[in-house]
Amino acid sequence: MDRYVSGPIDSPEGRDVYRRVDLIFEGVDHSGESFEARIFFDNPDAVETTALDDQNGYAGSFVIFGHGGCAGDEGHCDIPENPDDVDDLRFPHPLHPADKPVIVTEALRRVEGDTFTITVVPVLPGKDAPRRADVLFFEGIDVLTYE
Amino acid sequence: MLAQLRDATGWAQSISDDRGYQYWAGIHGLPLPISCTHSTRQQFASYFLPWHRAYLYFYERALRDRVPTLGQPWWDWTRDRTVPGAYADQQADGQRNPLFSVRVNDVAMAQAANAGLTLPADVRRYPGQPGTRLPEAWEVDSVLAMPDFFSFSRVLENLHGLVHVWVGGDQGHMRHVPLAAYDPIFWAHHAMIDRIWRIWQLRHPPPSFTSDYLNTALRPFPLTVAQVLDVRALGYDYAATVGIA
Repeated sequence: MDRYVSGPIDSPEGRDVYRRVDLIFEGVDHSGESFEARIFFDNPDAVETTALDDQNGYAGSFVIFGHGGCAGDEGHCDIPENPDDVDDLRFPHPLHPADKPVIVTEALRRVEGDTFTITVVPVLPGKDAPRRADVLFFEGIDVLTYE
Repeated sequence: MLAQLRDATGWAQSISDDRGYQYWAGIHGLPLPISCTHSTRQQFASYFLPWHRAYLYFYERALRDRVPTLGQPWWDWTRDRTVPGAYADQQADGQRNPLFSVRVNDVAMAQAANAGLTLPADVRRYPGQPGTRLPEAWEVDSVLAMPDFFSFSRVLENLHGLVHVWVGGDQGHMRHVPLAAYDPIFWAHHAMIDRIWRIWQLRHPPPSFTSDYLNTALRPFPLTVAQVLDVRALGYDYAATVGIA
């Protein structure tokens, strides 16, 4: 996708008392391009040029340092289906999707209301970099709170 | 120091066997296998920091075969907000600057092309393009304050990625895992990452790692995670870490 905008998400109850709140972007693909994914709260219109400040709801970012494609033969980049095999002592497949944390404690405290939206804008380098529809893939978002 | 670094790097770049620059750069990415470890899922322990420490160690030892007193310098991108002149100058003393660029071997380039990476064989950088940024000092301070090692590691890995994208831009080698280590500035960047980890270690109690984690081999290097935790056991340390810590 070229950009992700969530629906309304319930704010963690008592968010002001949490020591830390993380957004965990689960299962992020890193087999392709390298880019910065910028996260904004309550700003569904955020784009690549939106300033990274409180007024725009900027919450943080994660970076994908990508593999740029598959260098091997057919099947080389196929990810095994059973990564939890305890008898398999190999490192996880290098292209196994990643979980990327973004610490959003302060940004979440600035959210007004009981719900908020998340906008994720992938930003590629270069002034002529087109908005790309094929760089941002992830399986889900989790909210992790620390008391 | 700079002249010695250039001498050792140029010497390594002139060697085509497993003592040379192509061999060491290729371990990170192409030619296959890609051995580096980066992004992982939460249920997998992150080996990003220990793997790259082992990598730096063996690369530095290779350079020391030429200059026994050499230490790999770090690029503090929180202070030097451009590519340092030592790496940006095309010429040094009237000769090719080996820290500026190097030609990537044909096997790696052929495999890169197979992946769809159509970069020139000579390493290029396009630093500071729109849409890129270097980490700020406050971001490093923030990550250094994190008490949990794996949280620290994952957030630091994000900052590390910003630098790869900033240096490489849209058409540079540093932006792509398979080719990044061919750029001579890769090593100075990762020395900075390793230095930040060292500073973090000085500020926080040792983590309670599992024995499985500690005993994991950092392939292809004959070292385990436990063996790279203390830089002094590897024979080096970073200057000025006491004042920073």
